[in-house]
Amino acid sequence: MAGAAGVLPVLLEACGNSSSSSSGSGASGTLSLWDGEVGTGQLNTEAKKLVTAYKDGNLTGGYELLTGNIYEVIEAALAANKGPTVAGGYAYQAFQFADQGDIHYADNVVATMQKNGQYADYLPGLFPQMKTSKGYVGIPWGVDTRALWYNKSLLAKAGVGVPTDWASFLAAAKALKKIGVYGYVTAAASSNSAYGTHTLAAFMINNGGGMFDEQGNADCMYDRNVEAVEYLLELVKGGYVDPGSASYVDTDVYTELKNGKAGMALANPTIPQECGTDPVHGDLVVMSPVKGPHGDVGTIQYLKNYQMYTKTPSIAGSEKFMIWWNELFAGKKGFFAQGITAAVPVRKSVIALPEIQADPQLVKIIKEWVPVAKPESARYPHIFSGLATVDNGTAMVQCIQSILGGKTTATAALQTLQNGIQNYGASYKA
Amino acid sequence: MTSTQTRSSGVLNGLSRARRGVGLGGRSEHAPRPPRRFSTRSITLTLLVIPSVVLVVLIYGYPAIYSVFQSLHDGNLVEVGEFVGLENYRIVLHNPVFWQSVEFTILYCVVGVFGSWVVGLALALLLRKRMYGRSFLKTLLLLPWVVPVVVTATAWKWLVATPSSVVPRLAEDLGLGQLLFLDSPGLAKTIVIAYKIWLSFPFMMLMASAALAGVENDLYEAARVDGASSWQQFRRITLPLIARSTYISWILMFIFCIGDFQSIYLLTGGGPVSSTSTLVVLAYETVFGNFQTGPGVAIGIIMTVVSVLVSVVLFRRIKKVQIS
Repeated sequence: MAGAAGVLPVLLEACGNSSSSSSGSGASGTLSLWDGEVGTGQLNTEAKKLVTAYKDGNLTGGYELLTGNIYEVIEAALAANKGPTVAGGYAYQAFQFADQGDIHYADNVVATMQKNGQYADYLPGLFPQMKTSKGYVGIPWGVDTRALWYNKSLLAKAGVGVPTDWASFLAAAKALKKIGVYGYVTAAASSNSAYGTHTLAAFMINNGGGMFDEQGNADCMYDRNVEAVEYLLELVKGGYVDPGSASYVDTDVYTELKNGKAGMALANPTIPQECGTDPVHGDLVVMSPVKGPHGDVGTIQYLKNYQMYTKTPSIAGSEKFMIWWNELFAGKKGFFAQGITAAVPVRKSVIALPEIQADPQLVKIIKEWVPVAKPESARYPHIFSGLATVDNGTAMVQCIQSILGGKTTATAALQTLQNGIQNYGASYKA
Repeated sequence: MTSTQTRSSGVLNGLSRARRGVGLGGRSEHAPRPPRRFSTRSITLTLLVIPSVVLVVLIYGYPAIYSVFQSLHDGNLVEVGEFVGLENYRIVLHNPVFWQSVEFTILYCVVGVFGSWVVGLALALLLRKRMYGRSFLKTLLLLPWVVPVVVTATAWKWLVATPSSVVPRLAEDLGLGQLLFLDSPGLAKTIVIAYKIWLSFPFMMLMASAALAGVENDLYEAARVDGASSWQQFRRITLPLIARSTYISWILMFIFCIGDFQSIYLLTGGGPVSSTSTLVVLAYETVFGNFQTGPGVAIGIIMTVVSVLVSVVLFRRIKKVQIS
C-alpha cells in the first residue's frame, strides 16, 4: 500500500502556507484538529505531519490523536473550557455537540464549496443529511456502508448461487448448513461489537422499515420491522446463524469468516483486509443488495464527517482550515488515493480514481449499496442527535441479543426496543 | 484436678468471658470509661487529620454533591440542564432493565461475598495445617487477586466466550452438548459470579488467615479435651473469635462487589440481554452508552445510598461483636 508521503508536498502547497493567503483576521493561535484512529495507523501519522505543518498567517495547526471514547474525551475537554477547533469521530457526534451549542455551523464552508465546485462533486443526498434547522453541523468526507458479503468458495461448495432476495438468502444459509458451515455470522456482545445491531437495523431498512416513522418518532412495531425480525428469527431458529453471535465481538466475525466457519455476513467495506484476504482475488465477495419480500432493498450507512467547534482563535481561520482539511480526506489529491482511509469515498472525482476502481468490492458497494443505504433514522429522512442514544445502545443490543437467543417473538423483541428507545422520555426529533 | 483440666476450664472460662465482651481486646469487666477532655494530644491529632478530611471532601464530597445536583436535572456531562426534580428517578424506577440489574446486583453481591468467604476461609483453615509446600501454595493462591483484572477477565473470556473456546469444546467432547457460556443468561450469570469468587477468595483467605493467627491453639486443645467435635470447634471457637474480622471482610467485599465494573464489563459487558448488568454497569451504559446523564447519575445515587445503608447495618453488627 502506498504511503501518503507523495501527497504531502502537494497538499501543503494547496493549503496556503504563505501569509498572503491568510484568513486576514490577524488572529493568532492554534487550530487544533482532534481525531480518532482513522483507517490505518499510517493515516494518523501522515495527518499529524500535514496538520502541524499548516500555517495561515499567525494561525498554526495542531493535531491530537484521541484514544478511547472520542465523544467522552471531547465532552470532558469542553467541560474544562478546552477542546478542538475541528474534530472527527462518531457519526452523530456533531449533532450531539450542536445541541449543546458547541458547534460552529458550516454554512459558510458549504457556500464556499458550492462556489468552487467541490459541492457538486459529492454524491447526491449527503449534505442534506448534515443539515439541521440551524445549519450544517459538519462536512461529510466518506460513508461507512454495511453490505452483505459471502464466501464464494463456500457457496460453490454448497452448490448454491449468490442470494438475490431473502428467500434465496435463506436457501443459501440452508445449503451452507448442510456442508457444516453457518449461513450467517454477526457480533452482538454487549461491548466491542456493532455488527449485531447493524444487522437489526439493516434488515429492517432492507424491508422498507426502520426504527422511526416519517415524523421522527420511534415506531419499532411497524409491520415491516416485524417481518424483518421474524425473518432473522427464522434464520436463528433454523440453526443457520453462528450460535456464538450473541456474545461475539466484531473481530470474532472476521475470525469465523476467515476460518470458513460462516459463509455470509453483514460487514464494513474493508472486511477483506480485516480478514487478510485479497479484495480482488479473495474468497470474500460483496453481493448485490438482496430484495425483501416486498421488493425493497436497503442497508444502514453512517455518514463520516468533520465538524467545527465554537471555541476557536478565528472563525474565518476555522472555516478555511476545514475546507483544506476536508480536501485531504474527500478530495482526489487526498488520502483515498493512498488507500489508507477505511471508508467509502463520496466524491465523484475520487471514485473515478484508478486506485479506487482497482477494488471491485468497493466499486460494487459504491454503485449498488450506497444509493440504497439509509441512516439509522430511517424512515425519517434526517439525522438527529437522539440517534447517538439509539445506535448500538442498550435497547438495540438487548433486542438483537434476544433475537439471536432465539427464545423470543418478533413483537416481543421489537416491543423491548420500542420501550428502550422511549424509556428515557427524550425527544428523538431533529 | 489435672493440669490439663485446670487449663481447659480456665480457657473455657476465658472464652465465655470473651463472648460476654470481656478481655481479649474487649473492655475489662469494671473498667470505668475515661472522662472526655480536650487534651493537647487530641487537639494535635485533630489538626493532623484535618488536611486528610479536607482532601477527602474535595475529592469525594464535591463530586457527590454535584452528582445529586445532576440527578435532579436534565443535562449532560457539560451542562447541568433544566431542573426536573425527581423525574430522572421516576424514569429509572420505571425501567425494567433497572430492576433486572438490581436483582443481579443482589445476587452478585450475596454470592460473591459469601462464596469468596467460604472458599477463602476453607483455604485459610487448610493452610493452617502443616503441609509440604505450604508457602508456595499460599503464593499461588494469591495470584487471582494479584494479577490485573484486565488480564484475568480476558483469560476467562478466552476460555469460555465462543463455541471454539477451550471450555465449550471440552464440554462438547464430554458429551455435554454445545454450551455457549456467554450467550445464555443463566450460564453467563454463573460465569460472572464464578469469576468474582475466583478473583476474590485470596483476599478473604488473607483476612481469615490473619484472624485465625490470633486464635490460640490452646483453645482447640482444651475443646478437644472437653470432647468437642471438629464442627463444634469451628462453630463455637473459630467463628466467634474471627467474627469481627469476618464482618469487616464482608463489608469490604460487598463494597468491592457492588462497585465492580471492570470484571463484568470485560467479561460480558452486562449481556446477554442485560442479564449480567449490575447497577454500576447500567449506570455507565446509561451515561456513556445511551448519553442519558441524569438517569445514569440517578442510578449511581441510588446505588450509593444502598451501599451506605448496607455498610451501616454491617458496622452496627461489628459493634455488637466485642471480640477482636
